[in-house]
Amino acid sequence: MTQMIEVPAPDGATAPPTVKVRGRWALSWHGVRTVAALELRQRVRSTRWVVALVVWTVVVGAITLLLFGATRRIFDFDDVTADRSQSGPLLFAAVTFLVLGLGLLVTPTLSSTSVNGDRNAGTLATLQVTLLTSAEIALGKLLAAWAAACAFLVLSLPFLALATGAGPTPWWSLLRVVAIIAVLLVAVCAIGLGMSALVSRSAGSTVLTFIVVAAVTFIAPLLFGLTYQSVSSYQEVRVYGMPSSWNGEDEVQCVWTQEERWVANTQSTWWLLAVNPFVIVADGAGTNADDDGTDPLRGMRDVVREVRAGASGQVDECWADSSEFEAVRSEHAVWPWGLGFNVLLGAIGYVVAVRRLSIPQRTLPRGTRVA
Amino acid sequence: MTDTTAAPAPPPASAPPPPGIVVRNLKRSFGAVHALDGVSLTARSGAVTALVGPNGSGKTTLLLVLAGLLVPDSGEVQVAGFDPVVEGPSARARTGWMPDAFGTWDSLTAREVLQTFAAAYRIDPARARARATELLETVHLTEYADRPASVLSRGQKQRLGLARALVHDPQVLLLDEPASGLDPRSRVDLRILLRRLAEEGRTVLVSSHILSELEEMADDVVFVSRGRAAGASELGGAGLAATDRSTWHVRALSYAALTGWLTSVGASWQPDDEQDPHTPPREQPGGVLLTIEGDEGAARLVRDAVAAGVPLVSLSPASGALERAYLALEEERR
Repeated sequence: MTQMIEVPAPDGATAPPTVKVRGRWALSWHGVRTVAALELRQRVRSTRWVVALVVWTVVVGAITLLLFGATRRIFDFDDVTADRSQSGPLLFAAVTFLVLGLGLLVTPTLSSTSVNGDRNAGTLATLQVTLLTSAEIALGKLLAAWAAACAFLVLSLPFLALATGAGPTPWWSLLRVVAIIAVLLVAVCAIGLGMSALVSRSAGSTVLTFIVVAAVTFIAPLLFGLTYQSVSSYQEVRVYGMPSSWNGEDEVQCVWTQEERWVANTQSTWWLLAVNPFVIVADGAGTNADDDGTDPLRGMRDVVREVRAGASGQVDECWADSSEFEAVRSEHAVWPWGLGFNVLLGAIGYVVAVRRLSIPQRTLPRGTRVA
Repeated sequence: MTDTTAAPAPPPASAPPPPGIVVRNLKRSFGAVHALDGVSLTARSGAVTALVGPNGSGKTTLLLVLAGLLVPDSGEVQVAGFDPVVEGPSARARTGWMPDAFGTWDSLTAREVLQTFAAAYRIDPARARARATELLETVHLTEYADRPASVLSRGQKQRLGLARALVHDPQVLLLDEPASGLDPRSRVDLRILLRRLAEEGRTVLVSSHILSELEEMADDVVFVSRGRAAGASELGGAGLAATDRSTWHVRALSYAALTGWLTSVGASWQPDDEQDPHTPPREQPGGVLLTIEGDEGAARLVRDAVAAGVPLVSLSPASGALERAYLALEEERR
């Protein structure tokens, strides 16, 4: 009987190799890859995953084609005088926001159950007792979730490329948009990871992740709107406008006058707009359509940069000529701040996850067993 | 059985054996619940130590501390010579832990599960592949090696969990209810496997409710009750010579006559499982358990009892010593 119960002994000595003592923050590519491969393997093999990818492609593709038709109908009704500079930027903006919006909807679900889900399934503790550090487990899970999110992004590439090809949008704008969306998605993944480590119920962590995404997407701009009045006041400003002597017909030269105007000091609240992912992408896209074009990305960029500059003390009310004074177009980009804020939220999520995954644990999340 | 020797006998080897598990005055509470309230125990290397206790007595918490998952509030722990709190990775590298309830990644095959864990223990891929094949053979899952773990039955998953705990060839094995869900054949295999592992010089700590199983495989037993080690004793483990003193089950036509005679000659006895210890002995058939020195002692007992006119019916070596000790413990608890 005993011969069939052959306990395999490792070749050589039975003593395990000396373990290099590594702290919870230690990272090795080997460890991260092990966890990421494990997570991805599980995800890829589920039919749900394939269905999600197909549905995504169909939805994004269908809406892109509809948008394509609609913008052509509005601007390029006559093929002879087709002016792509009108429809192209609009199409690009629409597809970009579609991909970003759907990405923000899908991504929280990719990581927001990765820790508590494993804990509930009883697979987390067995992984924690191995030689993987908690930073490796967290980063592996984060990379796997991000890779999944990027799969959706990659499937959207043909449609983004179609929109880029339709108009004067430069190709490097496509590159910038995809890169910024990818960074936003990794931030969302990391927020979800942190929530899943913090909250024991997977439904709770998913909801909380959505709330954080909603906070930067809707609530922050809403707060900006609500505080707009409170940061505004009547102030003495220099106004560049039509001279009071103007009879309404002659060509005149605009003049500077000192007048009282309702001025919004948005330089203190601009960040509420800047954290919005759509603002970040619009500002970071770097599309460069003509001023009179219909480029929503450019429009948003101008608005948010103006908001950041706040009250300049100068108001342009001249509509006779634009030679003398032009509203200064700010070159101070807003998107690095907004993206930085989102990445910071993600970093906090990651740190929370690593701390919560560290063993041995002193405290347990409420209502959970370790194993 | 009632004598509880706190310190287990030193192993027969002349050279000092590598350390197994040493726990001293371990305390851990969860809020107001004192899951561990000063547990002390020693598990020898080269032996199977059984961890026995009622539900909620702190067995699982103790194993979690030993596995390096929980920080104890106070007390001293050494696993394979390392403190799992301070020297976590070194202790974990030498510890194989199988929790009482665990999951498997359903879409991975049994082989992939083992290879993933081998990678997590930093075993190089070539060796990991060989190791996975060997272990699948050990737990008789070779034919399921390349099927997803979701098709495995509960007992098969349990066996896969055991293989997982062994993947890095640990010096110390912590098994929480390893036999639950196993069919009789697999239980026998488990017993043989654990004996074998112990003979290789490893430390095996097993908690289980299936006491007859433990009795056959364990060398030592530690009783845990209300967060304390209530007693430790040495058992005649499988393949080892039984100790001279053993428990016998004696039955007579008159329970009152039997117990009266035993008390008059000064023997210490316990009522067997069928007797209610709280009612006075009655004139009806009944049995007792007593500890007798060897077979000669048993023969002497028969002779003396018959001479004294006790209507003796049977005298047999008692089984389920562990179970009785466990129930006696439960008795104290009430």
